[in-house]
Amino acid sequence: MTWSALGFTLLFVVVTMLVSVWKKLGLERDIAIATVRAAAQLLAVGYVLHFVFHSEKTWLLVAIIVLMIGIASWNAAQKVRELRGAVWRIAIAIAFTEGLLMSILLGLGIVDATAQYIIPLSGMSIGSSMIAAGLFFHHLNREVQSSRGEIETLLALGATAKQAIQISLKRSVKFSMIPTIDAMKTVGLVQLPGMMTGMIVAGADPVEAVRYQILIAFSLACSTAVMSMLLSQFCYRLWFTKDLRVR
Amino acid sequence: MPDVLEFRDLKKRIGDAKQPGEQRLLFERVSAAVGPSDRIALLGVSGQGKSTLLRILARLDVPDEGEILLDGTPSDRVDPRLWRMDVCYVAQHSVMLPGTIEENLRTVSRLHDIPFDRKLAERLIGELGLDGVDLRKQAAELSGGEKQRFALIRALLLRSKVLLLDEITASLDRGSKERVEKTLLKWNAQEGTTQIWITHDLEQARLVSRRTWFMARNTLLEDTPTETFFRAPEAAEARDFLRIGTDEVQI
Repeated sequence: MTWSALGFTLLFVVVTMLVSVWKKLGLERDIAIATVRAAAQLLAVGYVLHFVFHSEKTWLLVAIIVLMIGIASWNAAQKVRELRGAVWRIAIAIAFTEGLLMSILLGLGIVDATAQYIIPLSGMSIGSSMIAAGLFFHHLNREVQSSRGEIETLLALGATAKQAIQISLKRSVKFSMIPTIDAMKTVGLVQLPGMMTGMIVAGADPVEAVRYQILIAFSLACSTAVMSMLLSQFCYRLWFTKDLRVR
Repeated sequence: MPDVLEFRDLKKRIGDAKQPGEQRLLFERVSAAVGPSDRIALLGVSGQGKSTLLRILARLDVPDEGEILLDGTPSDRVDPRLWRMDVCYVAQHSVMLPGTIEENLRTVSRLHDIPFDRKLAERLIGELGLDGVDLRKQAAELSGGEKQRFALIRALLLRSKVLLLDEITASLDRGSKERVEKTLLKWNAQEGTTQIWITHDLEQARLVSRRTWFMARNTLLEDTPTETFFRAPEAAEARDFLRIGTDEVQI
């Protein structure tokens, strides 16, 4: 795509602005800021990736993945600000999931061990883990509140924290996995995933694009499942005090 | 005989702990002790903190000040889990866990990896008038009174040293209430389990307890033999409480 063609995409922004002005939505300022930010962020990432892909420095690759995990963990932990210690637990769960995924992908030679594959696939896996972690925390928080009676009943009978929260944990893990499984069921029918669309637009063979999309769909399901399971094991204690009472 | 459970100078405030100005005193200087096989009635008008006191004794809540001891050992030196296996709280509004009635009855066996005492469970089911209920039924389908009695059986199967009974017969009809009283009196005689009953039913308090704790004026105002308490209570609040309670019974 040429720079002038990219410039024309601003027409879409103009249309959005006009709708806002016409319907008096008062969103012009937000649209302008969002446009500038989206363009600047994406162009910056594009240049960073361009640099990383050509530099072939492993430490740079690792640094980018660590940064992605850090941002994702911080973002997911915002859902449960009142729970101290959530950030690093999420970070460990995401890092482990990422490690497992990359071991399978690279170990079995499914993709080449180059930044060109590792970074986009890691981005998708970490992003989806972040969403799963956010959903898991959100749901578990609600579960603990609504099932307080059940949890206390079990504690009163001498249950450990894990035994007392087991039912709520199971429901929350399930809840955090539902969007990924639903997306897998409808992919290609209801939605054409962004990555696949991008590859096709950029000139790749659609069958080749689909193969990668299948890889992405399966690996994301795996990431979400592993991530939710790990998180449930790492985090359940956060909902209890030291002397085993529900917070 | 050594005390099973003892508590000294308990103090509890309620309200938002982050805003001390918003808090109010629930009770203070609350001390007492119970020995093996003791049966206590914990009486007082609503809002005195009777349930909170029992929850503190079960370590489901914490006091702001004071200490509790189990067999002479302070609570901070006993694993809360082991504590609760010895001091079991039975709530006023019983909660059945997801699953069948039998799964609920097996909770203690599952939690502590011990064999399910089916014989005992069946005996208690009979004593509490629940023989006709199909144990394969979902626990959620039970009536309020049935839930309450099954929750009691679930707790009895733990065979704790102390039972903290928080208005457990409040939602029961007269017949079921009497069955619960009889079963627990028998349990006390056979197992030597200490029982602390919160009740607003004075007739029940007289029947099931040997000692009465009366809470008023933000403290444990009286700790006397039940017979003395009902015959000649010391505090004016206790006299008022008994008079109103008796009037209610007559009405």
